[in-house]
Amino acid sequence: MEAGELKIILAAYNTKLDEKLSLNVDSFKSINLEKSEKRTLSILKYRIIEIVVFSLLALFIGNYIASNWHQTHLAISGIIVGLFTLIALAGSIGQVTLLNQIDFAKPIVEIRKKIELVNTHGLLFVKLMLLSTPIWWSYVVVASDYLFNIDIYANMDVDFVLQYLMVNFLLIIPLVWFLNKLTYKNLHIAWVRKTIGLFTGSKTMKALAFLNVIEKFEQ
Amino acid sequence: MMVNKKEQFIKTLDEHKKIIYKIVNSYCQNKEDRKDLEQEIIIQLWNSYDNYNSNYKYTTWMYRIALNVAISFYRKEKKWSLKNDFFNEESIFKIEEDTSEKQTELNYHLKLLQEFIHNLNELNKALMLLYLEEKSYEEISEILGITKTNVATKISRIKLKLKKEFKNI
Repeated sequence: MEAGELKIILAAYNTKLDEKLSLNVDSFKSINLEKSEKRTLSILKYRIIEIVVFSLLALFIGNYIASNWHQTHLAISGIIVGLFTLIALAGSIGQVTLLNQIDFAKPIVEIRKKIELVNTHGLLFVKLMLLSTPIWWSYVVVASDYLFNIDIYANMDVDFVLQYLMVNFLLIIPLVWFLNKLTYKNLHIAWVRKTIGLFTGSKTMKALAFLNVIEKFEQ
Repeated sequence: MMVNKKEQFIKTLDEHKKIIYKIVNSYCQNKEDRKDLEQEIIIQLWNSYDNYNSNYKYTTWMYRIALNVAISFYRKEKKWSLKNDFFNEESIFKIEEDTSEKQTELNYHLKLLQEFIHNLNELNKALMLLYLEEKSYEEISEILGITKTNVATKISRIKLKLKKEFKNI
């Protein structure tokens, strides 16, 4: 089929639609036009709940650090937990900003990217969870001190603490490398695909794959 | 006031019904899905109607909304808005079928073209539709949000693909 023939077919199709296509006004009038975008609102609601929860957690941690400022190990543990809380809070604020920017009257590529970035939110928590593995004791120290008034650190062997700190310090470098790999740009690597798939759902995977398609489309 | 707005909307919709009809047919093969998508596009157009930016052509605005809704729908996001509380037996856009020989031949070619479009990914589908509508590179670039050079490159690839696909027809 040459371009000319294609044009003839399309012209005939347009003529057919001009002659035969009509708007069914009765059917149109029965649509509930005031229906809102419930799904966007529901995602927005969840993200706002996240912001409230993380803000309260950040306030609590801030208070905890201030109260234990002179007990270095508790203050450091509190700072570590606080840092992760702030990263999660920033992520949720970013999501609300993205959701508010979704306007279907804007260019397609721009809007699709925002929608898919909203859909990949779960990956941020997976990364935070994995990133906090070397310092998971911070959570235990803070929780046991606050909830049960037990200072675990005081009952730990000094050698164990030193070994723990050294091993985990060494773990940080490969872990950062590993987490940097967990992006949609590396979905062609089998282990990246499997790891993301294992920790997140199919919705996140689908969104990540589509971000890849969008990026290729933009090039 | 509201009645006037609705009448104006119906009038505009009627003038541009071909746009929605073609997009719906390109993104949905199933008849029931087509009805759902028609409605979702119309609802979204209505919700954005007051915010129409006159810096852009009306068709640009309409294509952006209809394509964005269609892509969301296609990606199984059709629960974006809740299902209608009523089930509409009739499609909003009606087409009278013509069984003349000329129309049968046209339908055969259109079916092949539609199959070709269905096999493209969501974004290339949008590009292909705009290309077939003979939109200018500038308008395609405004609708899709990619550069004019990129539009030109992609269209030349699409032309080649089309030629290859339909060489035996």
